[in-house]
Amino acid sequence: MLALTAAGIVLAASGAAPLTLASQVIKSTFGSSFGLEDVGLLLTPLILTGLAVSIALKIGAWNIGAEGQFYAGAFAATGIGLFIPGPTVVILPLMFVGGALGGVIWILIPTLAKAYANVSELITTLLLNFVGVLLAYYVATGPWLDPGGHALGTTARVRHEVPEFWGTVHWGFPLAILLTVVVAGLLNFTRWGYEVRIAGSNPQAAKYAGMPFRRHLITVMLLSGAIAGIAGMLEIAGTVHRLQGGISNNFGYLGIMVAVLARGSALGVMAGAALMAVILNSGIILQTQGLNTSTVLAITGLILFFTAIGDELAHYRIVRSEPTA
Amino acid sequence: MEIIAGLLQTSILAGGVLALAALGEVLAERVGVVNLGVEGLMALGAITAIATVIATPSPALGFVCALGVGFFVGMIFAGATVVLRANQVLCGLALTLMGTGLAATIGKAYSGMPAPATFAPVAIPYLSDIPLIGRAIFAQNILVYLIYIVLPLVLHLVMFRTRHGLNLRAVGENPAAADAAGIPVQKFRFWYVTAGSSLAAGAGAYLTLAFVPSWSEGVVAGRGWIAVALVIFAGYRPVNAVLAALLFGCITSLGFVGQARNWPIAAPILSMLPYLGTIALIIVPVLAWHRVRRLMAAPASLGEPYYRDVR
Repeated sequence: MLALTAAGIVLAASGAAPLTLASQVIKSTFGSSFGLEDVGLLLTPLILTGLAVSIALKIGAWNIGAEGQFYAGAFAATGIGLFIPGPTVVILPLMFVGGALGGVIWILIPTLAKAYANVSELITTLLLNFVGVLLAYYVATGPWLDPGGHALGTTARVRHEVPEFWGTVHWGFPLAILLTVVVAGLLNFTRWGYEVRIAGSNPQAAKYAGMPFRRHLITVMLLSGAIAGIAGMLEIAGTVHRLQGGISNNFGYLGIMVAVLARGSALGVMAGAALMAVILNSGIILQTQGLNTSTVLAITGLILFFTAIGDELAHYRIVRSEPTA
Repeated sequence: MEIIAGLLQTSILAGGVLALAALGEVLAERVGVVNLGVEGLMALGAITAIATVIATPSPALGFVCALGVGFFVGMIFAGATVVLRANQVLCGLALTLMGTGLAATIGKAYSGMPAPATFAPVAIPYLSDIPLIGRAIFAQNILVYLIYIVLPLVLHLVMFRTRHGLNLRAVGENPAAADAAGIPVQKFRFWYVTAGSSLAAGAGAYLTLAFVPSWSEGVVAGRGWIAVALVIFAGYRPVNAVLAALLFGCITSLGFVGQARNWPIAAPILSMLPYLGTIALIIVPVLAWHRVRRLMAAPASLGEPYYRDVR
């Protein structure tokens, strides 16, 4: 609670300082269906990357590499979409599977390194982000460069698109929500989910109780990668339709923020994603006013910082409220 | 032969960035705090340095200003993680996002401007006349000597040859025992984390004053994270950290040489080398030499905040 309040204060402080800008943001975000559609478009990848980071945290792993897995998913989906001929009904599911697989491959080495050699996944997943960005940049400016030459540094348009269901918001949005609900259900109502949660909160106890800790760790981390990969695939098939260097908009990093705000609840992932989508959208609206995505990144960091501190301070409260005397 | 000398020179120059940042991280991790904000600190240091140099053409002042900014931000980070004991991973990530975002925002105005003054190479007499390697090693800028020779040796001596250093390591290994022995645990942690942050920002300044030398968005390019990984690879030892950084400088400069000589590999692919190399180097040793593991182990209470009484 305190964390959210702190986040709110920071948000107010950084967002409302120039009051006119703030009102402009609110007007263009909530005042028109276009604004809401934009938020909806941003929500889809944010929910998914948030979910990806959140589920890995359930078992105590930090997937800082959702950004890279996003790129890998987008890359795989674009490859399938561009070069495999066939009707959309067949190719679209193929792209979906390909995107998920791309994410899985991207997180495979960090996962195995953590599971078998206890190498911190923090750094390995993160470093692969840079490789993912470079890979997308390489194919978009090199081998897959749009032969039509409509724009610099992008691939040709992928013809297979996720249909829209409301305005410009595509069916990926309900799909993301469905996926979140399914994962939450698995975690909360199955034996597997129970074991994963135990393994996350106390690995020693989980091992002692005979739970296959390593196997759970591997499946959860791979699932996390797959979800981030799907986010990348949907961004290609639903929103951008072309692979390009900066396609991710820092969605992977913002996903960390979403997961932290969510504190491990599925509903929280959606709420956190909604908050981030509004912030991100304000950044895009204000871009003409001199603010930009890097400012949004800075604000995000500030919120994250205060969330972390608020978390700890909230802890203090509990201790103080139960004095021994 | 020319190519080897060139390679060596670029390796040393490129490795310096990582070495300075890694030394800072060694300080923080030895007292038990993981600072994942290195990337952000480097970005802040880089932009501070370039802004200062453009305002007053003095690279030394730019470097000092960057150290100062790092010191200040480091105090905030230490205040959150050591005094308030907030989650170190979260605070570090937050610092990285903040630093990267803030630097990019400020940096818009400075993008692409070359630094009007940089650290000029200082040739050491006689030594720089050694054929082949002389000019590569002994005609670098002043920061290089500082980073490769002075700083690691001083840190090594302090850390492993003085009582202060013993206390420092004790704080990272077993803060409760250190506290019982009368060592001011929180004070140690606070100031070493702050000093480490200062060095990280200094590494950013080195990047824009001696290596690149100009600002562009994304100029840090994950070097902060590579530095964090290097510290693990180096077994948390200052001298090893600098040697590891040099190895990475080699990998980076291999990419440069490849681009310059038109190897049939695309530039983005060559740019992947440092990242992939880092991943390989932190995974392979763990698999290969089990015995080294204990010697190179992380400080036992790394990442854990210290509470004097159990909550």
